[in-house]
Amino acid sequence: MMRTTLYEEHVSAGAKMVDFHGWEMPIEYSSIMKEHMNVRTKAGIFDVSHMGDILVEGPDAVAFLEHMLPTSISTMNMGEAAYSAFLDDNGCMIDDVIVYIIEGQKLLVVPNAATKDTVMNWMVKHRENFRCTLKDLSDQISCIALQGPETPEVLRKMNIGLPDSFKFSFFRINSTNNITGDSRGIISATGYTGERGVEFIIPNTEAVGIWRQLIKELAVIGSGPCGLGARDTLRMEKGFLLSGQDFNRDRDPVEASISFIMTNQGDFIGKGAMERRKSDNIFRGFILEERGIPRTGSRIFSDGSQVGEVTSGTFSPVLGKGIALGYISRNHSSKGKKVDIEIRGKMMKAVVSRPKMVP
Amino acid sequence: MSLIPDGLMYTKTHEWFKVSGTEVIVGITDYAQHQLTDIVYVDLPKAGTVKKAGEVLLTVESVKSAEDVYSPVDGTVKESNPALADKPEQLNQDPYASWMVKIRVSEGYKPKGMTPAEYRKHIGE
Repeated sequence: MMRTTLYEEHVSAGAKMVDFHGWEMPIEYSSIMKEHMNVRTKAGIFDVSHMGDILVEGPDAVAFLEHMLPTSISTMNMGEAAYSAFLDDNGCMIDDVIVYIIEGQKLLVVPNAATKDTVMNWMVKHRENFRCTLKDLSDQISCIALQGPETPEVLRKMNIGLPDSFKFSFFRINSTNNITGDSRGIISATGYTGERGVEFIIPNTEAVGIWRQLIKELAVIGSGPCGLGARDTLRMEKGFLLSGQDFNRDRDPVEASISFIMTNQGDFIGKGAMERRKSDNIFRGFILEERGIPRTGSRIFSDGSQVGEVTSGTFSPVLGKGIALGYISRNHSSKGKKVDIEIRGKMMKAVVSRPKMVP
Repeated sequence: MSLIPDGLMYTKTHEWFKVSGTEVIVGITDYAQHQLTDIVYVDLPKAGTVKKAGEVLLTVESVKSAEDVYSPVDGTVKESNPALADKPEQLNQDPYASWMVKIRVSEGYKPKGMTPAEYRKHIGE
């Protein structure tokens, strides 16, 4: 199994390690619920070094990504990041990614761990007529996410400035970063928890040092590292999609409720097919009114007929209720609509919500 | 390393049980609660429910998954632990103090289970 540079840190902290798409990753250190609430009320850190890092470089780097993505890249400035998704020839999402404008001719694409090779191959397949190179730096780069309302305070103690949301800046490090080509790490105001927070994108050689420094600062506020378990419950409360689970080459951005990424006015891969799809389904949140937890595949009913299906489900530590994300027929998708979700053979009452279930 | 107290019997499906006369007390092991992660609901059976050994006795829901708990014996449910309905997290905190169900063993049924040493070997510790 693959391991991140921080593997030993997790094991020595007593983390419970699990197989996450071929990566041996911490699911929890002590308790998913406790780590979840630490991020909502204080701050916590996550090792997300398993995610991919693909550098797109050259005079046509911007044009190439604008050809590949439904998001306008040419209107972005240096130091800005954008959420987007690669579409296939059927207009369905292959993976969702963050694109960073490092310099005018140098862009970083961060795909999910499990889909990194698919994304790389997809880009290679379409690159031919563009003057840019694609470099997979995933093995050299670590990523640490610091998330939670006390992020500014933690960063202040480390003498690192907090960028505005979806912007990033640089900070001095002691080794060469092959993304920037010099001794600067990236600190990006992005994340997957819905809280204020940043992600450190750094060479592997810097990871243990920064991780330990963050652990020290978090200990002061009574917090610490968080596993992928809490990362998953945190993202579900906020309605963020999980690639491979909430979509897997079967959903387009409109039905996945992320039409805000479609800022690209030009032609791009999958555009025509996506516009023709016109799916009747829409991605929504579901809050249980009874004691039960919907799971992936649970069916959603209205007046006895199936109208949707759950793609992610858990217990919301903030709401103290079972919650789900999934797709439901547009006719039944209005906020507050009562539905039934089938959980292990029993029908349980639930209410339709927008995907973001916790404000 | 998981806690596996002496004086209890264990099953392959990670229940512990304690035999006293014609009654057994059933719970889940420390290993099981750790694998489950935070437990949030327990669907306890009603008194009078009749179960064969190996049949689903109840379901435990954690943040990550729902797992069945199996009856270690043939018998009839006498009582479920009412405290678990409101405080299921007790199962994570102290799985051996947090019994789930008391079962009256069917006449002539001889409870069979693993010793602590056998169970430790079973979970590979």
